Amino acid sequence: MKQVTLCVPLEVKPESCSRLTAAIEDLKRQEDKSADPNSPNFWRLRERIPTLHFMSISVFPAHDYDPVFILEANFDGPEGAFWNDLTAVVGEELRVMIRCCKRPSDGTGALYDAVTALASKRSVAPYFEARTQRPSVFHHGNRGLACQQILRDHSVFLETVEELDRRAPQLYRGEAPAKVHADLRTALLPNHRWLDDQAPERISPAERITDWAALTLFVLLLLAVAAAPGLLLAGLGVARDHLVAMALASVVATAAALLFWVRHLEVRDSSHDRPRQDERMLREMIRREDWITQNHMGSIVLIKPGVLRTVIVRAGHRGLHLALRALRASRAGYLGSMRTVHFAHWAFLNNHSRLLFFSNFDHSWDSYLDDFIEKAHGGLTLAWGCGVGFPTTRYLVGEGAEHGRQFKAWALASRTVSRFWYSAYPDLTVDQIERNHRIANGLRNKSLDDSAAEAWMLDL
Amino acid sequence: MTPAVSGPIYRWEVGRKGQLAAAMLQLAPPVMALLRTVRPLLRLGSFWVVTRYDDVLEVFDTDAVYGVPYQPNLQVITASHPFFLGMPDGPEYQAQLATMQAVVLASDLPHLGDEAERLAAARIGAANGRIELVSFVRGVAFDLIARYFGISEPAPGSFALWGSRLFEFQFTGSAQDKAWRAEAEEFAVNFQKHIDRAIAARREVVAAGVSPDDVLGRCLARQAAGAPGYSDVEIRTAILCMIVGGPPQPPMVLPQAIEQLLRRPAWFAAAQQAARLDTPDNNDRLRAIITEAMRFDPLAPGFKRVALSSHELASGTPRARRIPAGATVFAATASAMMDERRVPQPSCFDPDRHAHNYLHFGHGLHECFGRFINHATLHRMVKPLLARPGLRRARGSAGRLEKRGPFAHRLELVFDDDA
Repeated sequence: MKQVTLCVPLEVKPESCSRLTAAIEDLKRQEDKSADPNSPNFWRLRERIPTLHFMSISVFPAHDYDPVFILEANFDGPEGAFWNDLTAVVGEELRVMIRCCKRPSDGTGALYDAVTALASKRSVAPYFEARTQRPSVFHHGNRGLACQQILRDHSVFLETVEELDRRAPQLYRGEAPAKVHADLRTALLPNHRWLDDQAPERISPAERITDWAALTLFVLLLLAVAAAPGLLLAGLGVARDHLVAMALASVVATAAALLFWVRHLEVRDSSHDRPRQDERMLREMIRREDWITQNHMGSIVLIKPGVLRTVIVRAGHRGLHLALRALRASRAGYLGSMRTVHFAHWAFLNNHSRLLFFSNFDHSWDSYLDDFIEKAHGGLTLAWGCGVGFPTTRYLVGEGAEHGRQFKAWALASRTVSRFWYSAYPDLTVDQIERNHRIANGLRNKSLDDSAAEAWMLDL
Repeated sequence: MTPAVSGPIYRWEVGRKGQLAAAMLQLAPPVMALLRTVRPLLRLGSFWVVTRYDDVLEVFDTDAVYGVPYQPNLQVITASHPFFLGMPDGPEYQAQLATMQAVVLASDLPHLGDEAERLAAARIGAANGRIELVSFVRGVAFDLIARYFGISEPAPGSFALWGSRLFEFQFTGSAQDKAWRAEAEEFAVNFQKHIDRAIAARREVVAAGVSPDDVLGRCLARQAAGAPGYSDVEIRTAILCMIVGGPPQPPMVLPQAIEQLLRRPAWFAAAQQAARLDTPDNNDRLRAIITEAMRFDPLAPGFKRVALSSHELASGTPRARRIPAGATVFAATASAMMDERRVPQPSCFDPDRHAHNYLHFGHGLHECFGRFINHATLHRMVKPLLARPGLRRARGSAGRLEKRGPFAHRLELVFDDDA
């Protein structure tokens, strides 16, 4: 099942920044009814864009650039249909926001004119499509589970709990596991006929093969590039009869030279140990956090200059991305050993001079970064180590994010307020979604033997 | 006997031309699919075909540039009295629209839905297990709308004949075609006189102290109260245009939808199940299934517009083309509803699609006035039939939908009559 993560960055007219911020806040007030218990929250997005998992709209101020507006979306299915659905719901609100942004000077300027013209009714979908920025690295938690499937699984979970509570627990306690499974299935089936269907495949064999093939190809390409100097020398007549040895020697020598060069740069890098925090923004971010199980963060950092860094950051991101797609844990719904990330991605902005990061995660921002620092600091350092002011790194993946306090301060300073943020299932953690899915999948089986039912019951 | 008293329901039914045109239209979907990819804005002389969803919407939304071409034919039907279908946006358009909105009320829709089902059920009860779907739906649709508007069936002549022939003239004919125009004028004059008589008769009934609550009754009440827009001629024109524009649609589109369902047995069974379970949820489900079935063979392949000034369509995209003033633009709604760039998995039958994926009744300023009536009644017209056990195609070619030009002509179904 195709899932898409993307963002649309648009440069903001500085004089329209406050108007844009107000427009985003208006949209939030219009859709977010959490303060009113009688109104369904985000119902328009929930009902009319059932493929949408998460969406955010933010404005990033900067000292070195004009502010940038970014719409981030994570959804199921084709992009064109998503944009069509989104613009059918909030198209006019998005048009107001585009009007606060600069006319792009690339080929999309005419489209900007068309959608922002006075009284224009032209759909803004093509403009967002044309301005879409692909992520350099992304992670999909609960990969392959469609938004509606997640919600259906959750309703099965809730009804299972209700059923267990409704019948006296002792009635189940004495029964064989297979009987418990059969009874629960019988109780839930009338409201969930889909439990009679086979579970849809989360990741198709073709997708798996493609993921591994892409990673293999990438590694082979890296080796070929590293072996090229040796092969060139062999071609020029140096040790012509020892082609393989020359290639291997070249790979080793190239890797050593690159590491030496990287290290040379790393020891001369400056880390930003105490970046200035905008107190007002900090307060605003804190005010919006920890209302529900999940939280959201957006960050933009400058990328360190230099040819080597440019090459390494691109190759590093590509490799990290491909590894994240192919790794078993990622396919099982988790980011390595981290079980708190729903959708996250990095993307390059402004001709690769800035790096954007968005994440939709469980629990508080502090514990989320702690989790990252503890369990995925290598990958985090590889992806973010190119950022100006990042804590000192060692051979691209060492140290860096391990400097927890410095790293947190640096990350915090790069954040902005998530002014509009939508989650289709705000009460569910990544773990709970997987658990719900296992329970629902178990109930799809018409019968289980005692040992399988016992294993399945561990999730109840 | 004059054509206004009896004759074929459509001119397309006479001769081989209709069959040939129907066969040609069968080729439209693959051709449009190709055009969407290779030539989304196709120019054929001064005629432009717009095939993609975004561009079709842009044509409809840019109504100041792409005007409706209905006025010349409409003048033949209304004896040159203005009706908002043929007008550009403006105070006169909005005033006429408001006069109709004041008498065709949203609160009528539930009753109209129930009435459509009742009329359909009565006809099926007398069908003896075999039904010709096109004429069945036509009978229900004209009966329903005539009652709602408060106009009784003419004798001699019939609403079905007059309405269908004028609908055909309005949307496929040309006022330049003298023979066709003369024929349309004859139908129109008969229709106008009939409505004039109905207005006079109603006035007498009202004077006698009886006032049925239908559209005509509401119009006359507003006229008596001195509300503008309700002179006798204005009432006549509005009712005439509503009966010409509305009830010819169901006998076109419903047989096409049923034919599409019959080709998909699982969905046909789902529609039957929804029809049999008589609850509001199942009514909604049936409506969704019928609406989706219509997407595979819609009411019309598209709608014509005329470029009133030069305009760049799809500007800012590689497919942008400048449409010159005076060009005829065909906004291919059928193609747009199959555009995979905006409609997810368009070849899949999915009744859970969002409303904005459907362009059955146009879009924007001139979106069909009767769309809400269609929304409330279309599925209810076929519900009693779908609920019948053993519903299936009649044997042989009679059980396959036959068309004449763009119009459904025949589709025979049989069902177990012992229920």
